[in-house]
Amino acid sequence: MFKHLSNWFDTRTGYKALIHEALEEPIPGGAKWRYVFGSALSATFMIQLVTGLFLMATYSPSATTAWGSVYYINYEVAGGWFLRGIHHFGSQAMVVLLAMHLVQVLIAGAYRAPREVNWWFGMALLFITLGFSLTGYLLPWDQKGYWATKVATNISSGAPVIGPYLQKIVVGGPDYGNQTLTRFYGLHVGVLPALLVMCLAAHIALFRKHGVTAPKKAVGVEMFWPKQVAFDMLAGLAVFGILVLLVVSEGGANLDAPADASSDDYPARPEWYFLSLFQMLKLFDGDREIIGTMIIPAVIMIGLLLLPLLDKVLPRGFAHFLACTFVIALLGGAGYLTVKAWQADASDQVYIKGRMKADQARDRALLLAKEGIPPEGAAYLLGRDPLYHGGKIFENKCLGCHALGGKVTGEQLAPDLKDYASRIWVRGLLEKPDSPEYFGNVPGCDGMTTWKESSKLTPKQLDDVADYVGTFATIDAETSPSDWADDPKTKAHPGRASFQKECVECHTMGDLSERSKKMQPAPDLFGWGSTRWMTRMIKNPNAPACYGFLEAEQKMPAFGEQLTDNDVTTLVRYLKGDYLPAGSGSMTGKAAAKP
Amino acid sequence: MLTRRDFYRFLSIAGGNAIALALAVPGVRYLLDPLTKKGQTGSFRTLTRLSQLEPGKPQAFPIIEARQDAWVKYPKEPVGSVWLIRQPGDKPVVLAFSGECPHLGCAVGLSADQKSFFCPCHTSSFGFDGSMQNKVPPRGMDHLQVEFTKEADPQVQVMFERFQTQSTERKPLV
Repeated sequence: MFKHLSNWFDTRTGYKALIHEALEEPIPGGAKWRYVFGSALSATFMIQLVTGLFLMATYSPSATTAWGSVYYINYEVAGGWFLRGIHHFGSQAMVVLLAMHLVQVLIAGAYRAPREVNWWFGMALLFITLGFSLTGYLLPWDQKGYWATKVATNISSGAPVIGPYLQKIVVGGPDYGNQTLTRFYGLHVGVLPALLVMCLAAHIALFRKHGVTAPKKAVGVEMFWPKQVAFDMLAGLAVFGILVLLVVSEGGANLDAPADASSDDYPARPEWYFLSLFQMLKLFDGDREIIGTMIIPAVIMIGLLLLPLLDKVLPRGFAHFLACTFVIALLGGAGYLTVKAWQADASDQVYIKGRMKADQARDRALLLAKEGIPPEGAAYLLGRDPLYHGGKIFENKCLGCHALGGKVTGEQLAPDLKDYASRIWVRGLLEKPDSPEYFGNVPGCDGMTTWKESSKLTPKQLDDVADYVGTFATIDAETSPSDWADDPKTKAHPGRASFQKECVECHTMGDLSERSKKMQPAPDLFGWGSTRWMTRMIKNPNAPACYGFLEAEQKMPAFGEQLTDNDVTTLVRYLKGDYLPAGSGSMTGKAAAKP
Repeated sequence: MLTRRDFYRFLSIAGGNAIALALAVPGVRYLLDPLTKKGQTGSFRTLTRLSQLEPGKPQAFPIIEARQDAWVKYPKEPVGSVWLIRQPGDKPVVLAFSGECPHLGCAVGLSADQKSFFCPCHTSSFGFDGSMQNKVPPRGMDHLQVEFTKEADPQVQVMFERFQTQSTERKPLV
């Protein structure tokens, strides 16, 4: 039955002759393990093709969506982590196998006449493969790919004369962005695969034309099928097995934090097989840099391309020796530089610290992404996160004078802002206003200390006042001072009586016209610690309702001009503890617990 | 008897199939992943107050909700629409129809003369009671369940659901 069917099909297609042609290739000297590298490369390319097609079913190439779609592949779609992992490590296997194939061809002398043209096709395939690596690295639009690829394209801008134009064309404009990604994507999934398939077809056809480069003393002939095919298949299986092992042990491919053009301390490194080039750059500084970026790679490239022609000018044996030495030295040098680069990083505190921060950013971004990525893009995951972004602003702008839970980077001149304006903070202030945690170190702010000396409130009354003042932070922007004062809940509060007795001697509650000349200077406390109050305090701390009464040199700098609205919003939310807590998957923060 | 040659044959074929299988299994799971994702199930939405509805006159109301589209979380925005027609009479009776045509899912609007529902894609036509007025659609417009709050001027709440198109019966989408 099957035979009947296959005959029917064969008479109409001639497929049997085709298979025969493909498999019944004579191999002088018989099947050998050393012939497996080309086939293993082809097999790995097939694996890349298949996994790449799967990834295309989800990946979305734009600066706003790329990271999110890769996140989705890695963490939400069944099997996505595995397919992406195989694709990721498969690209590295391609580079390794390429080097092995190259060395084998070289040692066998298979680059020499009459196989020169096939050597050149091989070189073309090498560059196409490296092109795949370079373009693919950018596609997740994460910090790693973004910065590594930025460096790579900036290198191209150093080319004489055409450099800047070249860079602009590759990047798709003056800046990195959507056009860079769409262009790289087009290259990665369209242009490069087409080129690779064409060159590979020519490569294999030429290989078939000339046959394997058998050893001189080879005896007998074996067919390609089945022994060599079995060897090739085992090599392919070994490569695939290693890939699966890597993917499973690494838990798939890494996805760094979303690309952030504003980051100032990301330790960019290329993929490991480009590390030797990266390290070489360090050897050439200033105007000599072009030696490392252009001249040496160009010389190597030309050298490789000219290898088959060496026989024309030198004795055959010597040319072969020279060619092998050249490539071995090349690989040795690359290996040496790679190890150097690793060593340099392993002992570089700046790199280690930068990488640690990058890992923290990545973990935070992945946690936030679980809750959904904003339509404006994955960059806003961290950009709008109070803990990450607000915390960074706090560290850069506030921690020089303020402390946070005792931590301060400069000389502490202002209160500790941990739990600022909360009941606990107020209670502490009422107990010991001259402590460095409160106004002890703050020039011009000794009003509370003066009050404390003459205060007649009992500890219980202070508790109630702290409770009362602690509610000010919950007054929202829609509530007016009179709305609030008329609220029965305000009137009934046990802390109100004491507050009215002692605190309003200096503090107003929303109506600055109540302030008389006799009153000690003090900030207005209406909505104190609320989002509105904190925002005003950060943008314009010297407004009359805040600390306008201070002398010029005592004043807190106004940040209204220096910070964006988003900076201020995230900073306020950071101080109020209004964010997704670290290490949890749902909104259970301080803010959610508040009524 | 297994010859050496047979062994190589077996190795070649089994090896190739092993790799193909190891990729096909996660690949198929990956491609079938949408089957495991559930849409939002139906729930009652408050659309308007009864007094805002004019008897006999169809009015469209947007369904507003926050939705998750694969990796993106959108804030609240219109995601569909519902037609409401208050019936004449003293008792509060309101008919609610899904704005999605039961034929092939286009958005149903009003006809040019404003006297029937009309789908601009394949000319499905429906009466104000939702019944088919031509043979284009497989069934009448999809009725949605309506509830009122217990107030003097009650709020109109509608169970928003989506249904399979092209079927003569009304089957909620899974």
